[in-house]
Amino acid sequence: MITVSGLRYRYPETARPALDGIDLSIEAGELVGVVGANGAGKSTLCYALTGYIPHFFGGTMEGEVQVGGHDVRRTPVSDLAADVGLVFHNPFNQISGARYTVLEEVAFGLENLGVEPGAMRERSMHALRATGLDGLAERSPFTLSGGEQQRLAIAAVMAMQPRVLVLDEPTSQLDPAGTRAAFEVLRGLARSRETTIVLTEHKLGWLAAFVDRLLVLHAGRLVADGLPRRVLAEAVDQPWGVGATQFTRAVQAARQRRLVAEGTILPVTLDQALEVLR
Amino acid sequence: MNSEVSRTPTGLHALHPLTKLTLMLLALVAAAAMPTTLAVLAVFLGLLLPLAAWGRCLGAFLRTCLRVMTPFFISLVLIQGFFTPGPTALLRLGPFRYTLEGLLVALLFSSRLLVGLGAATLLMMVTRPDALMRALVARGLPNQIAYIVVTALQIVPTFQARAHSILDAQRSRGLETEGRLIVRLRAFAPLVGPLILSSLMEIEERAIALEARAFNRAGRRTSLISLRDTRGQALLRRVLLLAGLALVAARLMLWRAA
Amino acid sequence: MRLELRDVRFQYPTGVVALDGVNLTVGSGEALALVGENGAGKTTLVKLFNGLLRPTVGTVLVDGEDSRRQTVAQLARHVGFVFQNPDDQLFARSVRDEVSFGPRNLRLDEAEVRRRVEQALDDVGLSQAIGRHPYDLAVPERKLVALAAALAMHTPALVLDEPTIGQDAQGVERLGALVDRLHAEGRTLVSITHDLDFCLMHFDRVAVMAGGHILADGPAPDVLRRVDLLRQAQVEPPELVQLALGLGWDTMVRTPEAFAAQLAEVRH
Repeated sequence: MITVSGLRYRYPETARPALDGIDLSIEAGELVGVVGANGAGKSTLCYALTGYIPHFFGGTMEGEVQVGGHDVRRTPVSDLAADVGLVFHNPFNQISGARYTVLEEVAFGLENLGVEPGAMRERSMHALRATGLDGLAERSPFTLSGGEQQRLAIAAVMAMQPRVLVLDEPTSQLDPAGTRAAFEVLRGLARSRETTIVLTEHKLGWLAAFVDRLLVLHAGRLVADGLPRRVLAEAVDQPWGVGATQFTRAVQAARQRRLVAEGTILPVTLDQALEVLR
Repeated sequence: MNSEVSRTPTGLHALHPLTKLTLMLLALVAAAAMPTTLAVLAVFLGLLLPLAAWGRCLGAFLRTCLRVMTPFFISLVLIQGFFTPGPTALLRLGPFRYTLEGLLVALLFSSRLLVGLGAATLLMMVTRPDALMRALVARGLPNQIAYIVVTALQIVPTFQARAHSILDAQRSRGLETEGRLIVRLRAFAPLVGPLILSSLMEIEERAIALEARAFNRAGRRTSLISLRDTRGQALLRRVLLLAGLALVAARLMLWRAA
Repeated sequence: MRLELRDVRFQYPTGVVALDGVNLTVGSGEALALVGENGAGKTTLVKLFNGLLRPTVGTVLVDGEDSRRQTVAQLARHVGFVFQNPDDQLFARSVRDEVSFGPRNLRLDEAEVRRRVEQALDDVGLSQAIGRHPYDLAVPERKLVALAAALAMHTPALVLDEPTIGQDAQGVERLGALVDRLHAEGRTLVSITHDLDFCLMHFDRVAVMAGGHILADGPAPDVLRRVDLLRQAQVEPPELVQLALGLGWDTMVRTPEAFAAQLAEVRH
């Protein structure tokens, strides 16, 4: 579904490349997480997968990016939008401003795609139900809370039924309840395995519990790619700036005191930690 | 303008936006074309008021007209009265003469302004801006222009909240905002700067979000909401347009004959 | 710098009651974290401390004095405030000028201003960005510039609104070290945070808010183990609390090292 070969990218008027040689392949239906320090290239990768790089940001791009059968460099962003959706971290800025109700806001993308009104209404209501916003269908998007607005952004993109959904730190501005609601929506989407999901996050606990596969970006390069637990356990000894959950750090401290076997793979979640410690 | 379109479903609300737009445009043309104050007022009383009553917003409509017109009316009466030359002086204040001719000009101008503002106000009270834009886009208005109009109406009010947040943030850093002029001037950059800069950031992110909704896609667009139009209304619009043209023609002929 | 709220009730002009009968005392040199879902009243509460909001009913005392007697700009000398959105305040052409703004409002001489700016930027790890335009920096770095701007004012009390949002692991660690240092210096700290792990590690005291009330207020390990209470406030307990409770422990631990130490004891 996604193939990236030799991707190198530099933003306009910058010296250092933001992405420095990325090779990556993602199958349909996979749930992939991307972590890394700020500045490592996570957002840049998200933009490259959705065509904003190179079309929106300009700059110099080398290599190839194929997403959902499209060559990103040759397809305008608006055309890519039907197959590849993007949700980013600021809930307010994703409200189009062109529509007065939540339902119409969700249908907005479908109108641009020329979907028939009957199907449009059905798909929009379905997206609203999936995001728990169906009770707010007639409200103005501007009266929603931050968490609700973020779910609205997800609904608006979901309704377009993209084959790939890219989310760039979608919960960073949300409170714990909002984060939980957002991940529940994603879990629902992931269940059907019809959508390939790529998600960048700093909240490792949530991410590790959700994705099948974890990528680590460091200084524009892909330095790790595999099962979340194994990748995060490795990251602890590396200068990647990925961080770790407290579960990982607690068991790491215990391992240093030889309270836990040397070869133990560090846990990421509560269940994994309890298993290791019992 | 704080015009929340009234939720009471009336026949006027249900009319197609273009029909309402045409009615208001006709009112404007009529006001411009009618030669006497009484004729212009007849447009207000005979066209706008009944429409407002039909739309069940007569009270709000009259209140808004009064509130908006009063300052204009007063200035016009004073300025035209004192500075229009004419033979009939009603009042003398030192070297200044207040003329009847001036008063009559003021009344005519005010009545035209009243109809113009009234028509615009009534249109906004009974038509949702996005419905009007949808109707215009269906007739060929560029999507981008419609977007700018509706977004401006929705986003600009948020600037007020943002300005308040900025004021809070800067006051918390010791910025004085009350006092001598020089103090207030110093406050300008810290208050206006963030508003402009953050708005630019917001615009860029919103542009990204719009692309994600295929906004700039070339090709056929559909509409979730179909605006009900009837053959009767379409015919009415044509009749109104012709009436408008006829009024303009008649006015030109009158003017030429005078 | 002691901060007090006595029987405070706050109602917005819209009619919404954001705070309803709140009593809170933050002693001089204490570090308090405020947790709870959005809309619980946390931001309203902290805005009372620097005068941005005045109580509808009740009294707010800053260093023993009624806050109503001072303007916001005057209170700004005593209570620093770091807002959640840095873009609400950034206006200068360089990071240096931006961070200098606060100290200059305090009428300090330029040499002192320069010293404070350099120290503050060093504290947040942005010394190398001193000459850059703030908007050339990414959002998390702009947040650090806003923090530096408040630090440079050397206020005895400091309010932080969600300082860790958007920061990476190194950023959070640096913020934690900074909070510890400010606490050690005797500054009074009040921080709103959704990062419960950060809260447990760096704040001695936690207050949980919901619906305009304080549900609980006490030492961090004690308050943050009350899972049902936290759920009421729509908040999950910190990971170390979850771990300790999962192991059946009665005493909570605040850091991974403390965890290992307690594990060693338990195992013997």
